[in-house]
Amino acid sequence: MSLKGFAPSPRQIKILIVAASFIILPPLLARAIPGIFTDYRALMLGVATCYVAAALSLNLLMGYAGQISLGHGALLGTGAFASGLVTTRGPELPLYAGLLAAVLFGAILAFLVGLPALRLRGLYLAIATIGFAFMMQESVFRWQPITRGSAGLELPRRLSRNWVLTENADYLALALVVALFVWLLDVNVVRTKLGRAFHAIREDEAVAQSFGIDITRYKLTAFVLSGSLAGLSGALYGHLIGFVNSDTFSYDAWSLFLVVLVVVGGLGNRKGVAVAAVFFALTPRLLQSIEGWDLIIGAFLLVYTMANHPGGFAEVFHEVRMKRQAKRDPAPEDLTTRLPKLPAPKGAAPPPTEGGGPILEVSDVRVSFGGLVAVDGVSLEVPAGKIIGLIGPNGAGKTTLFNAISGLVKPDAGDIKFQGESVTALSPHARAALGMGRTFQLIGLAKNLSVQENFLMAQHASAIYGDGSALLFTSKAARIEAELIDRAREAIESLGFERYAETPVKNLSHGQQRLVEIACALITSPSLLMLDEPSAGFAPAAVESLAERLKEIRDELGRTVLLIEHNIPMVLSVCDYIYVLNFGSLLAEGTPDEVASHPEVITAYLGQAAQPVPA
Amino acid sequence: MGRVIVSGLANGGIYGLIALGLVLVYRGSRVLNFGLGEIGTFTLFVAWAFNEQQSWPWWAGASMALVAAVAIGLIFEGLVVRRMAGATRLAVAVSTVGLFLLLFSIELKVWGLSPRVLRAPIQGLGPEVFGFNISYTYMLAFAAVLGLGIALTVFLTRTDFGLGVLAASQDPVAVRLVGVRVATVSAFTWGASAFVSGLGAILIEPAIGAFSPGFMSLLFVRGLAAALLGGLSSLSGAFIGGVGIGLIESIIGRVFIGNQFPGIQSIAVFFVIILVLLFRPQGILGKSPA
Repeated sequence: MSLKGFAPSPRQIKILIVAASFIILPPLLARAIPGIFTDYRALMLGVATCYVAAALSLNLLMGYAGQISLGHGALLGTGAFASGLVTTRGPELPLYAGLLAAVLFGAILAFLVGLPALRLRGLYLAIATIGFAFMMQESVFRWQPITRGSAGLELPRRLSRNWVLTENADYLALALVVALFVWLLDVNVVRTKLGRAFHAIREDEAVAQSFGIDITRYKLTAFVLSGSLAGLSGALYGHLIGFVNSDTFSYDAWSLFLVVLVVVGGLGNRKGVAVAAVFFALTPRLLQSIEGWDLIIGAFLLVYTMANHPGGFAEVFHEVRMKRQAKRDPAPEDLTTRLPKLPAPKGAAPPPTEGGGPILEVSDVRVSFGGLVAVDGVSLEVPAGKIIGLIGPNGAGKTTLFNAISGLVKPDAGDIKFQGESVTALSPHARAALGMGRTFQLIGLAKNLSVQENFLMAQHASAIYGDGSALLFTSKAARIEAELIDRAREAIESLGFERYAETPVKNLSHGQQRLVEIACALITSPSLLMLDEPSAGFAPAAVESLAERLKEIRDELGRTVLLIEHNIPMVLSVCDYIYVLNFGSLLAEGTPDEVASHPEVITAYLGQAAQPVPA
Repeated sequence: MGRVIVSGLANGGIYGLIALGLVLVYRGSRVLNFGLGEIGTFTLFVAWAFNEQQSWPWWAGASMALVAAVAIGLIFEGLVVRRMAGATRLAVAVSTVGLFLLLFSIELKVWGLSPRVLRAPIQGLGPEVFGFNISYTYMLAFAAVLGLGIALTVFLTRTDFGLGVLAASQDPVAVRLVGVRVATVSAFTWGASAFVSGLGAILIEPAIGAFSPGFMSLLFVRGLAAALLGGLSSLSGAFIGGVGIGLIESIIGRVFIGNQFPGIQSIAVFFVIILVLLFRPQGILGKSPA
């Protein structure tokens, strides 16, 4: 690698300067002004640094991915013991080998914890992680041959045979650099598909899958990443205080304390969490008289924050910002009459199916929930380039059939073919990635996130770079991310929503949310677009406009649409072919004219034989 | 073996008591109270202050301590839980983690880390069964668990208010319609569960020896596992779950006797938790979800 053409960006220069001052300043200050920058104060700053790294590791799991962990202390402890073993036993490896071992063991253990967590949510995950913390604390950490139990291990700060960081200030320099590394990694997680996938899982797992996000994989990734950083922080802390035993990383002292840092700092708010960590590390030491009150204050803050702002400090800041923005921008107007044009998806019309066969073939699909048959042997075909309607009274099984097609529900029997290939065994995200886009009855978006973030999430399948590339934010990842942002901006512009780009989706009107949702489904240029009651909540004039947009999706964008709709006049006007579902089975099918005059359809809708509905 | 069963039953009774406290609050407000165990520890410190420092008679100190426990439950319910009526249940659960830390840190500040010993209500070894002395405290604990369990069950199923408590989490509107105030129900469950936790702590402390801040954490995890085993919302399930965990623990302890690996019981409890969560989240007594 030559340095020719090496032109660091302003941000890289800033990082280099920060890193250099982290390395130079503590040792320099300790020697220049030993009276002020005492050994004890260097130790306290080191503790604060370790708190920041540890809190960020929990924030990644709990704040970003929404997976609660009340047992993170056990992961820190694992890291500290792993590092202790490598650096004190056997070959007595140097410090960095210990830190690497800590990362490795933290990652492995977190992976094992993450496996059952795939099936557990919320409170149940919290219970499982408490059980895990106690198992580690009471058993593994007390295992004499490995950890020497309460006698503990000494953790040396040896960089090489003759170089030991005996001074706290020197070790502080190293700790600061490690914490900076964790911070930068965190920044890269948030600005790439990793962070978006975590956020999407936190917000709504079904929506995440419809965006093509493999929730199993990303949940495990969150656990492994968080676990490796927790292991690293634990080892960093262990070498700082120089000694760990079975009680160092107890449930009371660490697992719960980290939850306080993350919640009080604000779930998912990197800066808030770091500030909280430094605050709780330094205040009791700066003011000797406060000794013992720090935890009381922390616990009180936690209770107070939860009682008044269940979203933590981040929510408080966010509310203030939103109020200011609301003053600047008038409230979003409701789209009553005309809907803007939908953005054109990238790429030409989808490849025609071989032999001109249907793009989607559903054969004999049956879905039951505990004995209740919701869909009973339904077969239908969706030819490419058409709009196909799926209608039926409430409870007829339309949405269940949609869920079976998109993979959210496992059918008991039957087969689903997409572009000639069976997708019945595929997961929902894999089907989304193949080109099946869908919307949900109750708006399938991450509603707490901004419009732009939703457009970026929706392009998950287009973000083709590895996790390593994401963590290091390589030029490849940067280039792809820039493309995704461009495409998101284009989509937002063509909707005319530039001023709402940073607005959380939940603050938009229902009609605006629906448009963003359909546009999100279109942005990955799916061959098949499945819309679940898109017109619900629209004014009549807007429904007409929506019908126009759907025809454009078919005629100008060349997409196929499968449409669940209650607005019969609209269905009859836009659909090429209609299937009617009643009590889980197909009641009728045909062109709009045929269906509209079908006596059984009329009975199903009106409860009795009546005059044919005019088309 | 008889000895194993007797000690399992005795410990299990205490776990059942803690599980009962968890289930009460869970039924009333669909929240797990992670601070419940520490309310028990706090009760111990108050009882210790009265009994050992002020030399009050045992029952008087214990009563004052239980009053303090109930007060903590009621205050937390009134100041925090009620305000969070609209918040997610997980947020409320996190606030109870705050309750744990608040009590824990106050104990640290006021009494410090050094271990303390609380007198047993009745001194003496107690009768020998299967070569195992069942102390009078154990017997008292078991009697209290059974008595409390029966009394609570009768109260909850035979009175209007009790039925209101049972229905509160399912249908708050219906509860209001039969003339029971939802707020009163919530306060009752928090107060009662704090009482139960305090009583459990006072009864089990003599069997364990010394206590310090965080003393009840380990028992709390057992109680949590017991409540889970019973299905989180069943009162009788809590008790049976407690006895189940107690028995599993003492049998495992017996099987692995002399084993070098420490804390085998904690591993067993963890696996019970994981297996129940994964395969029978409705508990051993719960009906399978439709």
